[in-house]
Amino acid sequence: MNKTKSTALAVGSVTNAMRGRALLSQNGIVAEVGRARPDERTGCGYMLTVTGDADRAARLLNAAGIRVRSAP
Amino acid sequence: MIYFDNAATTYPKAPPVEEAMRRALYEYGGNAGRGGHRMSMRTAEAVYHCRERAAALFGLPDPARVVFTANCTMSLNIALKSLVRCGRVIVSDMEHNSMMRPLFAASGRYPAFSVAHVGRTAGETVENFRRLITRDTVAIACLHASNVFGNVLPIAALGKLARERGLIFLVDAAQTAGILPIDMQAMHIDLLCAPGHKGLGGPTGTGLLLCGERYTPSSLLEGGSGSESLLPHMPDELPERLECGTLNTVGICGLSAALAYTAESDLATLYREEIARCGRLYDGLKRLPQATLYTPRPAAGETVPLLSFNLAGKTAEETAALLDREGVAVRAGLHCAPAAHRHMGTLPHGTVRLSSSRYTTAEEWRKVLQIIYKIS
Repeated sequence: MNKTKSTALAVGSVTNAMRGRALLSQNGIVAEVGRARPDERTGCGYMLTVTGDADRAARLLNAAGIRVRSAP
Repeated sequence: MIYFDNAATTYPKAPPVEEAMRRALYEYGGNAGRGGHRMSMRTAEAVYHCRERAAALFGLPDPARVVFTANCTMSLNIALKSLVRCGRVIVSDMEHNSMMRPLFAASGRYPAFSVAHVGRTAGETVENFRRLITRDTVAIACLHASNVFGNVLPIAALGKLARERGLIFLVDAAQTAGILPIDMQAMHIDLLCAPGHKGLGGPTGTGLLLCGERYTPSSLLEGGSGSESLLPHMPDELPERLECGTLNTVGICGLSAALAYTAESDLATLYREEIARCGRLYDGLKRLPQATLYTPRPAAGETVPLLSFNLAGKTAEETAALLDREGVAVRAGLHCAPAAHRHMGTLPHGTVRLSSSRYTTAEEWRKVLQIIYKIS
């Protein structure tokens, strides 16, 4: 796993994104909140740009009830 | 002016509120949760920070389950109109119209509600609720403290009862948020409705609905949510599911400052001091032959700092008008809570209500008693 690679995880609302960022930070993962490209099914929303282990980040988010709409 | 109408809305507000709202107008001018530009994101950060503060103050683990509303009444409407679709709700016989009117409005379509008598003791009250639980009951919903008579309901015990019986527990904290400690987890509260502008000291136009993990209300209003826009319905997740349209970001920033100030305050000491002063006013009114009081002497843990009274030969409204002429602001009448007056036998004219805040000075407490003596 490339520790410096950036991956975008779409998470729906801006609240989810900020909650997710706090959760990932507690687990040592750096993430930034930004606007996501619109999803074909649900429409617009927000994403977390994760630096490092995006698989682990997605697992942490899903476990906390933050549904990752598009995984790496 | 001596302000004793804090149960309606507090005045003055918490000291940092004004500056926080002024700053919000300039620094957080974007629309939170809508755009991706820097000011929108900065505003969304400020809004989320307020959710975190509210969640921390009331013992809710997930800040995303803090929903912003316009006031406590709106919070109650969202929660109650969702609950009654599932079954019957048990309320107390001292509720505010913000509890009773949404239930009454729903009563033609759904089983709606049953009313439990608030007893002389906590045990009696809990037993009265317990007796009304039937197979179609879905929730116990009650105020934490009466906005007219100040008596505190045994919400920890009612929460325990609700949890034991698999019911949702809703608390209307209109008169207690920011005054009495509230821990949603310890008290088994599933839905907490609170105004931002009363005991918390935030601006008017702000309210909170905190949702525990056991129940997510359905939306009362629908519209733009900033995410999942292709869906024909509101997003499933909180808080966006219950927040449509642009948020009151300036108010939320003010509320956020008030929440931080409240969290840093020694609420227990402030509350004890207020209750002690309220007790001395009670003693003073008790010595006044023209005054009628309706409750036992205020006591810590049993009441919030407010008193209802009447003066012989005057209606409540006449007494309030006389006090206003002397520079004292109070509320008279039914206080939007006819149920509470029915309970206490103070219909149809109601009472004069004196309600303090943590900012009411000892001098103001002394002076208001002197003025009541003067006009009596």
